[in-house]
Amino acid sequence: MSDNQEPKNLQERLERNIFGLFMATALAVSIAGIVEIVPLFYLKDTVDYTEKTDKYGNVKNEKFPELVWERTFTQDTDGKLVSDKALYKQDRNGNWVIADWKAGDGVRPYTPLELAGRDLYLREGCYICHSQMIRPFRDERERYGHFSLATESMYDHPMQWGSKRTGPDLARLGGKYSDEWHVMHLLRPQDMVPESVMPAYPWLAENPVSEDFFGTERDMTERLSVMRTLGVPYTDEEIENANKAIEGYTEMDAMVAYLQVLGTMVKLDDSKSYRE
Amino acid sequence: MDTTAKPQYDDGVVKYLAVGAITFLVLGTFLGTFAAAQLAWPVLNFDIAEITFARLRVMHTNTVIFAFGGMTLMATAYYTVQRTNGVRLWSNGMAWTNAILFTIGLLAVVLTISLGMTTGKEYHEQEWPLAIAIALVWTLYTLNFIMTIASRNKETHPNVYVSNWFFMGMMIAITYLYVVNGLAIPVSMFRSYSLFAGVQDAMIQWWWGHNAVGFFLTAGFLGIMYYFVPKQAQRPIYSYRLSVIHFWALMFGYVWLGAHHLQYTALPDWTGSLGAVISLAMIIPSWGGALNGMLTLSGAWDRLRTDYILRFLIIALAFYAMSTFEGPVMAAKTVNALSHYTDWTIGHVHSGALGWVAMISIGALYHMVMKLWNTDMYSMKLINFHFWLATIGTVFYIVAMWVSGIMQGLMWRAYDEYGTLAYTFAESVAAMHPYYVMRTVGGLLFFSGAVVMLYNVIMTIRMANAKETAAATANA
Amino acid sequence: MAHNNPWPDEGNTGHIWDEDIRELDNPPPLWWMLSLYAGFVMMIFYALYYPTIPLKDSHFEGLAGWTQIEEYKEDKAVLENWRKAKFADQEEQLAALSVDEILKNDELKTYAVKTSKVLFGDYCAACHGAGGQGNPNFPVLADDDWLWGGKPSQIKASISNGRVGNMPARGMMGNLTDKEIVQVADYVIALSEGKADQSKYAPGKAAYTKGMCLACHGPAGKPLAPAGATNLTDGVWRFSGDRDEVIKTITYGVNVKKGGELTENTRKAVMPAFKERLPDPEVNIKRLAVYVYSLGGGQ
Ligand code: HEC
Ligand code: HEC
Ligand code: HEC
Ligand code: HEM
Ligand code: HEM
Ligand SMILES: [Ca+2]
Ligand SMILES: [Ca+2]
Ligand SMILES: [Cu+2]
Repeated sequence: MSDNQEPKNLQERLERNIFGLFMATALAVSIAGIVEIVPLFYLKDTVDYTEKTDKYGNVKNEKFPELVWERTFTQDTDGKLVSDKALYKQDRNGNWVIADWKAGDGVRPYTPLELAGRDLYLREGCYICHSQMIRPFRDERERYGHFSLATESMYDHPMQWGSKRTGPDLARLGGKYSDEWHVMHLLRPQDMVPESVMPAYPWLAENPVSEDFFGTERDMTERLSVMRTLGVPYTDEEIENANKAIEGYTEMDAMVAYLQVLGTMVKLDDSKSYRE
Repeated sequence: MDTTAKPQYDDGVVKYLAVGAITFLVLGTFLGTFAAAQLAWPVLNFDIAEITFARLRVMHTNTVIFAFGGMTLMATAYYTVQRTNGVRLWSNGMAWTNAILFTIGLLAVVLTISLGMTTGKEYHEQEWPLAIAIALVWTLYTLNFIMTIASRNKETHPNVYVSNWFFMGMMIAITYLYVVNGLAIPVSMFRSYSLFAGVQDAMIQWWWGHNAVGFFLTAGFLGIMYYFVPKQAQRPIYSYRLSVIHFWALMFGYVWLGAHHLQYTALPDWTGSLGAVISLAMIIPSWGGALNGMLTLSGAWDRLRTDYILRFLIIALAFYAMSTFEGPVMAAKTVNALSHYTDWTIGHVHSGALGWVAMISIGALYHMVMKLWNTDMYSMKLINFHFWLATIGTVFYIVAMWVSGIMQGLMWRAYDEYGTLAYTFAESVAAMHPYYVMRTVGGLLFFSGAVVMLYNVIMTIRMANAKETAAATANA
Repeated sequence: MAHNNPWPDEGNTGHIWDEDIRELDNPPPLWWMLSLYAGFVMMIFYALYYPTIPLKDSHFEGLAGWTQIEEYKEDKAVLENWRKAKFADQEEQLAALSVDEILKNDELKTYAVKTSKVLFGDYCAACHGAGGQGNPNFPVLADDDWLWGGKPSQIKASISNGRVGNMPARGMMGNLTDKEIVQVADYVIALSEGKADQSKYAPGKAAYTKGMCLACHGPAGKPLAPAGATNLTDGVWRFSGDRDEVIKTITYGVNVKKGGELTENTRKAVMPAFKERLPDPEVNIKRLAVYVYSLGGGQ
């Protein structure tokens, strides 16, 4: 049509060469990610100075040792990954309970039951209405507690910070209510809080947690082992026992176990500056 | 020009996609209205897992953004790329494969989400088998689009039209971000764990999340604007140079904005501020697009009185200008401190989604239907009726959410005369009720408009087909 | 090519697509260009002023020295100073005095009540109802019937340490038969209705003795000292006065554990401990104790 003149400038050259335009656009859209995301993987203050120290996922934090639960992983003679401290164990009565960790000892991986509960939290889409990220504001401190730290979600694949508070923030929910309250609330929120717009989740109480979609197994051993691949430290034994540790529980038990651990892992000190 | 030798285009697939898009608009706004009603009256959850609010809402976002938005983008891209390059599709078969698989894929996404299969990542909820399938289908779309441009006659069409830049930019960015954000290890057919955790996951998630907005819902729809506004207004684009500048500013700039969704979170300060400042700087480039569209109309404003389709296109530009002003304002620290987590965000979303995305699509779809079936619309009056339903519905929705959002933000942080918090959370929930009702009414209006559109389009197609059959029998 | 351009005079670029799409060669509006440049300049200043630039081991901190945590601390200090300026007296007294003493000072009491409203609403109302009127299965705080005692110090202890009531299943020794349980349930209901003297409740009364219910609920259904057990004579039900529910409570007990886990069907009754949960727990627990006390039933 108009002309077959030589292109006057780079722009015209790109307009005439679709592959050139492709490359230029691809370049333009890729710079932001490099500048904004890559440093988050190497800058130490990104995760409050919590560092991974080896391939087993051992972590330490020299500046604020209270933030992470530290334990030492080694390989025993059979090549199995073992640790000096156990996350969970079977007690004398046959119940699976937390072993060498107690509330406030620092961020740790989830137990199989908690992790199953977390999967259900995702399945039901609770993050659509609830955030898990307390911002450093005076009113949020009074309503929800100390602001959230990056370390607290370091094992969360994916994170559940949320973007909307149709319901209140849940980052420090653990211990605020009793298990019984949670059950009653999830069965019928309006019984507990008349103004609530939260849906009821009665089916949680009916389904065994060991079952997933279409009657397939919710294989916690597989899930813990994938988590370890992603850098969440579990011992071999913890992975092997994962399916036994959720036997006999309902989805409700798992959900409540997860809700009750939220925010209880670290005890933050208001007088300390974890972030500058 | 020689009008007897009209070029032949592959329009079958475009017809299919256009009707599909309108159908998904009806479905998606129905789901949205239903979700809105659930927040106003929680009994509407009916204790049915598959339609509890959170799942229904994700079904809604996926239907409107990816099914309706995606099919509109495919219909318009396939339509305009042929016309602006004067060639048929590089591969019609591939386009059909792409269109059919995309429909099936998106129906599967909505279904699996209602069953509870989700990654838990906002705007990327579909689990890995579907995510992979969708990425492949998307690649077909991108490849076909680019190869169509590449196969143009460089003598008659030396320069690629600006619409195509925006479409292609959108395709590239979406592919790249979707894939990175979606990286995960499966633990079963129905579940996978994201490769990323915590802060890094948050940043990657919103790097994608914002650009589902910035590219999918903005750049792609600017591609639509650049073709359909000059066509419908029968006016030249106001400024080529403006197109160039704002194109590159958007391509380069939008990708940085994700961090504005994470201000005051555990994300490092520098990342949040960086996202915020570039957001502020994006007002003017964004307005470049709105301006170019509006100035294109200068001298043809009188047409608005009679051309209902043009009305959709123009009001879309107005909403586009408004929401790209509102967005940067919300990205400013002090405003975000108030607006984040509240209904204000939802109001902003829908001033962009209803006002901009849906309106421009509706205008383009009406235009295409008439061209594709080579006929007038069954009823022009109904288009006007649709226009008012959509506009009033949108205004109801946005105003309700502005009021409730700002009120919510203020209630949460209000202190009383003793210096203690003034309202409990539950009180803020109760205060939202009237606005949730008002939003539902707005949604109902908008949804009714979509139904009117679907009816009008079906009648138009039937009319056109009847005419064609009549002509065929007359000739025989 | 000009001769192919049907719109030679409108100032288009000469490119035409799809028959009639063309672009004018107008420059962008001046105000737009100026704003664009202004935006760039703003961006540079902002980027230097605030922390925005990642470096190798840290990030550029910005000339303003702004951080969100500093901002938070300042905001918090503003509020605290304001509170201090207005209510230093009251706050100091709240910190120094016991709940008993606070309650004796009317002005201070009013202050404590007013400043507890949202605290109670956000932390307690979910169980005890917005006005302390109770929820199904959670005790009423607005009456004068107390499980653990309505004295200020007792209320404070309830909030601070939490409470877990215990009642064995089938009586103290676990030896009540099904029949006896029904009888004792009827007796207990009669107690609450003030007609337990009727002779038809004699077997129930006997079962009450056999089950050693009096150990907790007192000889006449009224606990001798508050230790979690319900007053059975006053028609105020902790769980429910429904006959089947009363039978259930007696059959399965409250918080009965076996092998470390709660037994199936046992009543659950846990009041969480708030001494580490509330913001500024020392003062806030006292505040709440005063509030609960003044809901109506403090003793
Ligand atoms: C429709 C939005 C909505 C959804 C979806 C939702 N919630 Fe809620 N949630 C609320 C509202 C509103 C409240 C505040 C009123 C109340 O306590 O019920 C709330 C309160 C809560 C509380 C009490 C928090 C506190 O500190 O008082 C918990 C715990 C909770 N929700 C858990 C969940 C879980 C778990 C899910 C998913 C299975 C869920 N919610 C889904 C809206 C929702
Ligand atoms: C998870 C639900 C729950 C929450 C939250 C809760 N409570 Fe309770 N509260 C209970 C239960 C259950 C009991 C009865 C315990 C028992 O039966 O032994 C109780 C008992 C009490 C008692 C003793 C009542 C009596 O009759 O002796 C007081 C006082 C009290 N709560 C005050 C509060 C205050 C103040 C708060 C908020 C800071 C609060 N509670 C939060 C569940 C709750
Ligand atoms: C070891 C102490 C103990 C013994 C023995 C005991 N109870 Fe209880 N009982 C309690 C406690 C504690 C509660 C309240 C639980 C709560 O509110 O947390 C309670 C509650 C009840 C209730 C529920 C009242 C209501 O308001 O809903 C009934 C009924 C009852 N007891 C009857 C009996 C009978 C009958 C016996 C004897 C067979 C008995 N209890 C023996 C401690 C005891
Ligand atoms: C320059 C343009 C824009 C900027 C800078 C911008 C900025 C923002 C900001 C600051 C938020 C709130 C984040 C939060 O506090 O959580 C937001 C949310 C959102 N915006 Fe925009 N916006 C822009 C344009 C648009 C447009 C045109 C649309 C069109 C549809 C749109 C759709 C959305 C959506 C869907 C969300 C919600 C994200 C979520 O789920 O939280 N935005 N935007
Ligand atoms: C009838 C019209 C519509 C109604 C009634 C409606 C209603 C809703 C409701 C109730 C929500 C949930 C808000 C909340 O959680 O509080 C929502 C979310 C959303 N809707 Fe719509 N919607 C409509 C149309 C659309 C359209 C056409 C689009 C896109 C093109 C869209 C995009 C979105 C998005 C992106 C969100 C998520 C926002 C966020 O997470 O911040 N909606 N909608
Ligand atoms: Ca959101
Ligand atoms: Ca009471
Ligand atoms: Cu954004």
